Amino acid sequence: MGALAIKNVTKSFGDTHILKGIDIEIDDGQFLILVGPSGCGKSTLMNIIAGLESPTSGEVHIGDRIVNDVAPKDRDIAMVFQSYALYPTMNVRQNIAFGLETRGVPKKEQEEVINRVAKMLQMDHLLDRKPGQLSGGQRQRVAMGRALARDPILFLFDEPLSNLDAKLRVEMRTEIKQLHHRLKTTIVYVTHDQIEAMTLGDRIAVMKDGVIQQFGSPQDIYERPSNMFVASFIGSPSMNFIECHLAEQNGQIGVSLTSESDARFVPLKDGAKFAKRVGQEVVMGVRPEQLDVAHGDEMALGCKVMLTEPTGPDTMIFTRINGKDVTARVHPRDAKGPGEVMRLALDMGKVVFFDPKTQLRID
Amino acid sequence: MQSNKLSRFIVYAVLIYFAVYYLLPLYVMLTTSVKTMDEIRGGNLLSFPMHITFAAWSKAWGSACTGVECTGLAPFFWNSVRMVIPAVAISTTLGAINGYILSKWKFPGSELVFALLMYGLYIPFQVLLLPMATTEGWLGIASSTTGLVFVHVVCGIASTTLFFRNFYVGIPDELINAARLDGAGFWRIFWRIVLPMSIPILMVTLIWQFTQIWNDFLFGLVFSAGGSQPITVGLNNLANTSTTVKEYNVDMAAAIIAALPTIFVYVAAGKYFVRGLAAGAVKG
Repeated sequence: MGALAIKNVTKSFGDTHILKGIDIEIDDGQFLILVGPSGCGKSTLMNIIAGLESPTSGEVHIGDRIVNDVAPKDRDIAMVFQSYALYPTMNVRQNIAFGLETRGVPKKEQEEVINRVAKMLQMDHLLDRKPGQLSGGQRQRVAMGRALARDPILFLFDEPLSNLDAKLRVEMRTEIKQLHHRLKTTIVYVTHDQIEAMTLGDRIAVMKDGVIQQFGSPQDIYERPSNMFVASFIGSPSMNFIECHLAEQNGQIGVSLTSESDARFVPLKDGAKFAKRVGQEVVMGVRPEQLDVAHGDEMALGCKVMLTEPTGPDTMIFTRINGKDVTARVHPRDAKGPGEVMRLALDMGKVVFFDPKTQLRID
Repeated sequence: MQSNKLSRFIVYAVLIYFAVYYLLPLYVMLTTSVKTMDEIRGGNLLSFPMHITFAAWSKAWGSACTGVECTGLAPFFWNSVRMVIPAVAISTTLGAINGYILSKWKFPGSELVFALLMYGLYIPFQVLLLPMATTEGWLGIASSTTGLVFVHVVCGIASTTLFFRNFYVGIPDELINAARLDGAGFWRIFWRIVLPMSIPILMVTLIWQFTQIWNDFLFGLVFSAGGSQPITVGLNNLANTSTTVKEYNVDMAAAIIAALPTIFVYVAAGKYFVRGLAAGAVKG
């Protein structure tokens, strides 16, 4: 049995169904990300794991027991809240000690835990301050310290970085990852930020409308998104969706691509897989980096640059293919200015296809 | 520039006018209370006293007649103190607990309970007099200080609950959840987390309840008898007991004595009062 298993969990308020049958199972020590747009049910699921809300049906297993009827405090979990939820009238030391105190940990042991945690998070100098006297980053640190003091079998992080500024967010993200490497405790982490999801997670559950759209490793989700929602939600800039018509030419199955200045038939890598769909409309999903400058004489499409967006390491090129706005990520050295034509090649081994009706990926 | 100065002048003029308007009665009370009857009879209402004497004050406190007895306000004052302390403490405590439950431990129907409680704010107290008198009779606490405390607690709960509930709505639920995960229960969260955060609203409620209960005349008149009458009733009796002459200086001194505790409470806790009201307004 893994560290956490969620079995067919649903949550409804009357006719409003927040969660519609969630199944997730992760192993000991894994870092699980629940990601999705606001209102997708990820925070509700987190609260159900914590025991702050109870599921309408289904089971939650933590460790080797079913915890549906176990009070939050007895689930052996610790949680870091979005607003940090530090007790404002207590100083940092008292904040960390509170959970130990209610559990009847002796004073001397409390001191040891506080010192250990303070050292681990480098906040010795903050122990006697009140939360109001701390910066956002320091509060975040204290909130994590409070969770660490408990040494639980499961950590829950509820959008812990969303109140920090961009720079601090990146720093704390790295810090959380290091912490996980060191502690090897199972973590469930809720976020709406796909970059946090990709960088931190061992396993990602992408959610929308109370349903898990895809559950898998970050790379898997990035490369083989199960539907168009996942494909567009994960990755920045978003995946390009190019509507095209599957056809057969000279015994090869492929798609016709038209730009403002060029048109070309591009054969698929394993065309045979798509034999049944010849003659149908499909949506081709192309990541911006899969549309790169053609250096050799490979199959390439001349595209007129509409706009460029230099980001430093890469330059984003905006153009049109099959009447859709498309973004390409190229090396700054290769980028041309607006109005000029660039020869762009598709990485046909990596592009994915979706059914325009069901929005599901075609295998 | 010129019009700016003019508008400033008008603003100040209006403000000063109203300040004087409200301070004048206090001035008259204070000066009259330290004048002798001769001076009051002979002089101007607004004139400053020529010889300051506290004779009227000591008479009002210790020997003025309030009906047949001539004991001054002192016994009434202590009656009020004996009534106001438990009444304020109990109604505030219940309000805090009610507010805590109605905002952080909602149960099915808790919104309805809150809505019904709020009716208490709109019920004119006069309609309560007869049923309350009957109830007190059943309980065997009629015409006693305990009975008065009971009435004030019952009638105060609506407003104290409203104050605390609106304040606690502004406390993030995450804080309560964090404490629950930390292993704290209902009472521990209340004592250790919520109550220490409640100082501003506690002050607001204390001042409010103290003022209401101390200044109450209606319940004091109806629900108390000789030995338990509060100071408002004492003041009324003192002012209405006519001997040969009306002693304005004694009346004024008595009125100020009756008002002093509320002034004291407001001055002592007033900065929290304003702060608490503002905090409640922004968060609630």
